[in-house]
Amino acid sequence: MSELQDTARRLLDEGLVQVVIGWEEGPRGARPVFVTSAADCERLIFDARCVHNLATFLNPRRSQITALGKAAVVVKGCDAKAVAGLLREAQLERAGIVLIGVRCGGVAGEPATLAPPALSAETVSARCWGCDVREPESVDMLVGEAQPEPPVTADLDERVAALDALSPAERFAFWTKELSRCTQCYACRQACPLCCCERCIVEKTEPQWIETSPHPRGNFAWHLTRAQHLAGRCVGCGECERACPVGIPLGLINRKLQQVVYELYGYTVSEDPAVPAPIGAYATDDTQDFIE
Amino acid sequence: MSRIGVFICHCGENIARTVDCGAVAEALREHPGVVVAEDYKYMCSDPGQQLIKKAIADNDLTGVVVCACSPHMHEKTFRRAAAQAGLNPFVVEMANIREHCSWIHDDRGEATAKAIDTARTIVEKVKHNKPLQTIRIPVTKRALVIGGGIAGIQAALDIADGGHEVVLVEKEASIGGHMSQLSETFPTLDCSQCILTPRMVEAYQHPRIKLYTWSEVEKVDGYIGNFSVTIRRKARSVDEDLCNGCGDCQAACPSRRIDSEFDAGLSRRPAIYTPFPQAVPNMPVLDREHCTLFKGRRKGLAKDACGKCKETCLKGAIDYDGQDTFVTEEIGAIVVATGFQLYDIGREQPAGLKGYGEYGYGEVPDVIDGLQFERLASASGPTGGEMLRPSDGAEPKTVVFVKCVGSRDPEKGMSYCSKICCMYTAKHTMLYKHKVHDGRAVVFYMDIRAAGKGYDEFSRRAIEEDGAEYIRGRVSRIFRDGDKVKVWGYDTLSHRQVVVDADMVVLATAVRPQPGIGELAQKLSVSYDQDGFLNEAHPKLRPVETNTAGVYLAGACQAPRDIPESVAMAGATAAKVLGLFSADELERDPSVALVDERTCIGCFNCEHVCPYGAIEHRDVCDMEGHVCGHVAYVNPGVCQGCGTCVAVCPSKSVELAGFTDDQVYAEINALAGW
Amino acid sequence: MSVVNQPQRSGERAPDDSGRATAEFEPRITAFVCNWCTYTGADLAGTSRLHMASNVRIIRLPCTGRIDHVFIVKAFERGADGVIVSGCHPADCHYTAGNYHARRRFGVFRELLSFLGVDPERLTFSWVSASEGGKWADVVNETIERVRRLGPFDSYHGLAGAATPADDPFARFEMPAGATGGTAAAPADGHDAASQAPSGTGDAS
Repeated sequence: MSELQDTARRLLDEGLVQVVIGWEEGPRGARPVFVTSAADCERLIFDARCVHNLATFLNPRRSQITALGKAAVVVKGCDAKAVAGLLREAQLERAGIVLIGVRCGGVAGEPATLAPPALSAETVSARCWGCDVREPESVDMLVGEAQPEPPVTADLDERVAALDALSPAERFAFWTKELSRCTQCYACRQACPLCCCERCIVEKTEPQWIETSPHPRGNFAWHLTRAQHLAGRCVGCGECERACPVGIPLGLINRKLQQVVYELYGYTVSEDPAVPAPIGAYATDDTQDFIE
Repeated sequence: MSRIGVFICHCGENIARTVDCGAVAEALREHPGVVVAEDYKYMCSDPGQQLIKKAIADNDLTGVVVCACSPHMHEKTFRRAAAQAGLNPFVVEMANIREHCSWIHDDRGEATAKAIDTARTIVEKVKHNKPLQTIRIPVTKRALVIGGGIAGIQAALDIADGGHEVVLVEKEASIGGHMSQLSETFPTLDCSQCILTPRMVEAYQHPRIKLYTWSEVEKVDGYIGNFSVTIRRKARSVDEDLCNGCGDCQAACPSRRIDSEFDAGLSRRPAIYTPFPQAVPNMPVLDREHCTLFKGRRKGLAKDACGKCKETCLKGAIDYDGQDTFVTEEIGAIVVATGFQLYDIGREQPAGLKGYGEYGYGEVPDVIDGLQFERLASASGPTGGEMLRPSDGAEPKTVVFVKCVGSRDPEKGMSYCSKICCMYTAKHTMLYKHKVHDGRAVVFYMDIRAAGKGYDEFSRRAIEEDGAEYIRGRVSRIFRDGDKVKVWGYDTLSHRQVVVDADMVVLATAVRPQPGIGELAQKLSVSYDQDGFLNEAHPKLRPVETNTAGVYLAGACQAPRDIPESVAMAGATAAKVLGLFSADELERDPSVALVDERTCIGCFNCEHVCPYGAIEHRDVCDMEGHVCGHVAYVNPGVCQGCGTCVAVCPSKSVELAGFTDDQVYAEINALAGW
Repeated sequence: MSVVNQPQRSGERAPDDSGRATAEFEPRITAFVCNWCTYTGADLAGTSRLHMASNVRIIRLPCTGRIDHVFIVKAFERGADGVIVSGCHPADCHYTAGNYHARRRFGVFRELLSFLGVDPERLTFSWVSASEGGKWADVVNETIERVRRLGPFDSYHGLAGAATPADDPFARFEMPAGATGGTAAAPADGHDAASQAPSGTGDAS
């Protein structure tokens, strides 16, 4: 902890950055914090409650944050992959940010607690299943102690497989029910580090491709589009699902598409911005079993 | 408010037989926004077109839908008619009720219903059509030809003879390319130099050709008709205006042990040299890498270690202090003719390629490649045309020729056929037998590919008249055995091992693109295949064009090519260039993409998918003029209107004129009530 | 026969779609095709007088690269029972690579639709070249037959009108019985409900 605070303090003291984006203790667990003075660095924490993907705050259109000056951001594995996504899509310049990597052994499924929970199969977040990044590699500095693998938890792949095993009509019924709760509040979009458009397609009115009235038809269009736009870009940080006020299991859709881009194109989301995203690239011998 | 006219063609009986054209007109008359709907026997006939023109004038139409045949058939006809009536041609669309309806359906009710749906769909689209203007781009009528081999020379001459200026850039000190190294050429066995040198001189002296030798393309900006090309003129150390080509400097140079590139390493040259006696321009270049003076300077010697050439030169043309200079040329079209290199099997291989250590090339002096054999056979070569082997200068009595060394061998990294080797190996056996009458020429081959005018006859002649022994099979090992070169091979026709005690071995090594082709391709935004050959725009219909408008390909930079093919391609590129230069302005279809800068976030997904390199980066400035971001900009001169960028734009900030989201949405929506 | 005798095909259709799910169900298919290969191939089918069913409505686009997934979504919303996307064969694209990009996008989107319960049988992706009029006729007829067997896509068309399920709005992900049963990773006590429901009290039963 003090290592993280010291690092942040040094960066601010030496004027290398003007703001450090990290987490602090909040009234309901950890919360993001923007530290602009060395004196405040003691507020910085990192533990299993630090679920928020801080790359979200690097969206260059968040002008109130960019106005603070050059930022250092504390990143765990999923945040680092999201930063890579922003770099890949020319939303950031690597030299314009400092990345403080934290060693991460998984985060809590229910982070709104006053003390960090001990991670177990019951308490760990589903997002951590299969995560292979204990130490982000693309960072400028790395802090924290070596971490164990996250506990084995509810297998997201099994839940996806269970849905896959259903008939299309049953899946349709399942998702109709799930998506019927959607109010199109777009919390999923706001929480997503890679949904960083100036004007989302859902806000384009001429033409209005996606019906914004929150009935299941508009909701299907919205969630199909959100998922398609994130295919091959989603880092699996799970923040969209956590942000959803009506508990739609968006993680299932994201996980499904991660499987699809891997199975079809051998792609896994990478911390290296030089690796091109799978959609927008192609190989002449791509699979085309589905094409007549 | 839209005022659409709908015109339904009977096409004689072609449409009317299965579609009730009157009912279509009747139904469309009721459609919102349609002010007139008429049917007529032949809408494309003069009276039919008059009907449309009159309706446009009478009803002040804002859009026209012609329900008739395929737009591929008559869209131009009706757009032209509308333009004559004062309507923008791009608000005219066709509903295909013939090929896609009356001709493929039997049931009159079904066909009529489908025709009505189709017409309504297109009416809804046309409500969103915008008047468009044909894009006009000024054209700089000046061509750049990259590469001064036979293809480049021919392209430059054809374009210059067509009346336009040409800039010809050659990276070596002389133009001529590989053809100048050849002894005689197939299938006529005429002397290569004799047919090439006049062309070289013609190119040099042509009033409209500006020649830059010892130069390379550094940077290419702009687009078709408007390229700005920066050329690096490498320091020659010889003043081109002062030098008279007397050759005294070369005689004076004390460094004389440098491998001659022109003789493929079979002879030596001085550090200041003219590549070959017929070089154009006939002017030496100082090889700074091997020059004693420059070696000394690199070591930091206080005093120049040599200076003989400068002392000798009566014209004072030698300049040791010259640096690379850069010139920028304004160019309208670019012909790439960078040619090939031979697969150098003896040296370290680039990534993905494997060498042939088992063939002894580079270790056994009497194992040579095809170009070296050309030099041995050439009257201007190191042996003066006598057939003498490199190791001891003896006349080789048995020569083995191995074809497909590297080519057609995915294991070595090249799966393609190098195409020219079958012919030149046949030629080599003939040249050899003509010089060494009692010699034995043994050829190991996989297949004999002699497709071309007079080609098969030629290779038959090598076997039947000149007695070359062709053995179908591969060679496993070549090694030195005393003063012989032992060749282990296998005859796959008689299934026996073959061992030849040869005096010399000639390897027909694969044809590969020039080194550095990848960098050049990137400068030109031209794609290349897995082997590094540049990609043509369409393998059948656009073989000399590339996907970058205004960039054309001639010769072996595109694939292995022989001389007649290279010359033909060069002529084809010249025809394309002259066509482009025939008008002052280039007219482009206005169906191009346009970025909404207000909502573009500069993720450049569009740039990744654009096959034409039409996407540019534009700075966005804040109110104080500081750059605060980047957005995509589609260069309308380069865009070809595929719309791939539109589909990958997450925020829908790109539109494709003629196929906008509004238009497609309206079409899909129009089908709702069907 | 006049058009007015075909109200169920050309006129306004009944809002409740009643009668569509009968033996005579005629599927509505929207086809998004590229201008250079498939549209021209369909033209050839016409000039060759290859007769085919009339259920397909073609929307012409320059290239499959232009075809956005929202077109498909919108087509289903607007009453299509099936969708065809067709363009140039690999290496034949008029624009060299639009079809390759489309192939990737739709390879993914097809899986996504399927995962959300849209039967992939309702979607046809095909390469039809300008010389394959016969193949186009086959694609059309086969798609129609396949979708005819599936029946009308009223479940999607009716989504906007569907009543919100009466269940507890916070009801959580229901695993089908036995789907994950018996694994240590997914305890049968509704682990995912506990971990995800905002209230933390979701009841999976």
